[in-house]
Amino acid sequence: MNKTAVTLSLAVLLATNASANSLISPGPQSKIARSSLSANPSTEWNRLSERGGKNVEIWTIDGDELNKVTFFGGVPVGEPLLKEADKKHAPLPRVTANMLITDIPAILESSYRIQLHTMRMSIDNQEPTTVGGHKGIKFTYSFVREDDEVERKGEAVGAFVGDRLYLVTYEAPAINFFDKDVDKFRQLVTTLKL
Amino acid sequence: MLRWMCSGLAAVALLFAVPAIAQEKTGNKPGFSLRPGTVHIILMRPTIKVGAQSTGGMFEPNADWTAQARQNIAQALNEAQTSMGNQVTTYEEGESGEGPVASQYAHLFGALADSVIEYQFFRGNRLPTKVRKGTFDWSIGSGVTNLKSLAGADYALFINTYDAYGSTGRKALQIVGLLGGIPVTSGVHWGHAGLIDLKTGELVWLNADRQMGGDVRTPEGAQKRVRELLEGFPGRPTQPAVQASK
Amino acid sequence: MKALLVRAILAAVAAVAFSPASAQNNTTALPPYVPAYEPRTVDERGQWMEADEDERTLRDSPLVIRDEALNAYVKRVLCSTVGQDRCQGVRIYIVEVPALNASMRPNGAMVVWTGLLLRVRSEAELGAVLGHEFAHFELRHTLNAFKRARSTTDVLAWLSVLGGISNTDTSMNRLLLIGSFYRFSRDQEKEADLLSLKYLAASSYPTIAASQIWQHMMEEADATAAGRKQKSHHRYSAGFFDDHPTDLNRAVYLAEAASKAKGGNDPATAGYQAGIAKFLPLFLADQIKLNDFGGTEYLLGQLASAAGWTGDLLFARAEMYRMRGNPRDLVSAAQFYSDAIKAGYTAPEARRGLGLSLMRSGQVTEAKSALTEYLRLRPDASDAKAIAALLAY
Repeated sequence: MNKTAVTLSLAVLLATNASANSLISPGPQSKIARSSLSANPSTEWNRLSERGGKNVEIWTIDGDELNKVTFFGGVPVGEPLLKEADKKHAPLPRVTANMLITDIPAILESSYRIQLHTMRMSIDNQEPTTVGGHKGIKFTYSFVREDDEVERKGEAVGAFVGDRLYLVTYEAPAINFFDKDVDKFRQLVTTLKL
Repeated sequence: MLRWMCSGLAAVALLFAVPAIAQEKTGNKPGFSLRPGTVHIILMRPTIKVGAQSTGGMFEPNADWTAQARQNIAQALNEAQTSMGNQVTTYEEGESGEGPVASQYAHLFGALADSVIEYQFFRGNRLPTKVRKGTFDWSIGSGVTNLKSLAGADYALFINTYDAYGSTGRKALQIVGLLGGIPVTSGVHWGHAGLIDLKTGELVWLNADRQMGGDVRTPEGAQKRVRELLEGFPGRPTQPAVQASK
Repeated sequence: MKALLVRAILAAVAAVAFSPASAQNNTTALPPYVPAYEPRTVDERGQWMEADEDERTLRDSPLVIRDEALNAYVKRVLCSTVGQDRCQGVRIYIVEVPALNASMRPNGAMVVWTGLLLRVRSEAELGAVLGHEFAHFELRHTLNAFKRARSTTDVLAWLSVLGGISNTDTSMNRLLLIGSFYRFSRDQEKEADLLSLKYLAASSYPTIAASQIWQHMMEEADATAAGRKQKSHHRYSAGFFDDHPTDLNRAVYLAEAASKAKGGNDPATAGYQAGIAKFLPLFLADQIKLNDFGGTEYLLGQLASAAGWTGDLLFARAEMYRMRGNPRDLVSAAQFYSDAIKAGYTAPEARRGLGLSLMRSGQVTEAKSALTEYLRLRPDASDAKAIAALLAY
């Protein structure tokens, strides 16, 4: 690696991240997660500038540790759900062709176990649902992340359009926070278009 | 030397993701105040995490150091309790069996305090809904009022500290960085101290610091750390104990 | 190629006969044990007290497996290894983490990761690792390590190191304070290894078991790397920043020490299989979710070579292939599920997996038949409605 390349890379790294978190006011929102996903929330949210993956967008009310809606906008075959933290030693499972709706909670669980080191994760309930008119799955789960040891609950809907995975999850601590805003998430889900 | 810098490039990338701007702030619910000698506060068992920061910036917990820090911080808090202006007792699970739940509340408080500093205090990453004038709207929920082991108290004092000491690899990178003119942060030292109103679950006072002092692995360091954590604690008497008579 | 080299070295070492010259240094005698380890200095008391606090965290943790029988079994293996005098008072905590590790607190609490229980092949091997951790405790390494950490270190000395910064930690080792291990020096690790060998020599277990674990770990690492199309390296000497001797180094000096004191005859392989049988499905399920195809195949193969391809192992293998989900994998998975059922695997999840594999392969009629059978056997499954929806496609 020559000296110029090193200097340039460092210069890029030194540039500060100028974008800030933005307000999502009630009303139609499109191109969520830089994809065809759209929604029409009736309450306000904040969109985080930090994304977490190519096809990922995060909304929150009080901060992503307290309530977090993650949009996965059309993850294609061959890609993982999240940006891998350690591609060499901890590669994440990829979306594969002909996946079934019941494979959606499985790929989320495996990704969380590997990347977030959630040693206790269980998928609790799975049932069919329609997401933006497409046949999909709704599931609930619970997990504990090793870095803060807070017990969290999750609720999610997912579907395939062609071979692309669309998934929207809501996660919050089991104490107080999950129940506080789950209705806002459910309202959001009814307005989803893929 | 250059080869070393290349392999450390990924590490450099990580450390620049965390801004080095000082972040220390105290906040409280608008209108909140506490007069000395009026309330009973329970000090919850602090959550303490001490470890090493690998070359690449990852946290590696160290049971040795954490155990020592726990001992030192407990001792320092013990000594501080008598000078807090109000009655402070240490949390006792007793026969309630609420140990695991109390522990969950302590972890949840950590996530709450983290969110306050990240999304309200820290200029670079504020949430638009949290910066409206006069808002300090944070709570761990009213469920805490039902805990038997907290009955009779007015407030709960939660404390978290997190220390990641730069590992040998990280410090080596720091030296290399110094020689190359690139600042490399080594070590992360965070702490929060907060008061929860046990009638509502609301956070009424928070002291948050992302550049804490004191090496918690030593008794003197822990004393310094506890002093910093409880700086500006509400209800502390500001007059000297003995008043000169006129 | 590397594996052959390793085996050659170990075979050569094992063939070395006990020589009179080394008899002077009597490596087999166990040091006398001071029972009821009570903290004496302020440092020790501090550590002991806070280890009690730590144990409270363990007690409250949702990750601990609270099964009396499994706990008693692991404790029994520890006692068979280090002797009754030493093992009395030790409390065992089994934590659900799918990686190989164990550690011991200054107050006698021992933490064992479930990944360790999956990877050892006999009571002798399990005893070797538990004995190693106990050795750190007996040698009071924790206290010494802390004392050293308090003194200042010369930063400039590190600059003289040539070569890159090596980091042998796997991602799992950064996990969980409750499972985290104390950092010892490489010398202390070797000291603990050699004391552990003395325990084994005095037990009914063969001492060669200690070396064999590291051989297996290297083989597993090779398999993981091969599965990811990566190169695997096994170095003999550790990098400057490594806190353990390398697996290869350990395998060699442990084999050497074992040749001088053989220990007992019975590694108790059958005893181990029986001891963890109830939890093997859980351990395998956690392992499969790690997306380590090569390493998991290796582990399954080793388990099968010891016990044959049981229903549990075939089911786990099927799940793993289905998870990877390439077209050929799905065909293999369907075959393994069928084999599992034939081998006597009764849990309805085998029909579920079979049905899902067939469905993805386009064999819809057979798929629906298997899924219907799954719903019949498990009508209140948490995914019953979702599976029923697939039947309607």
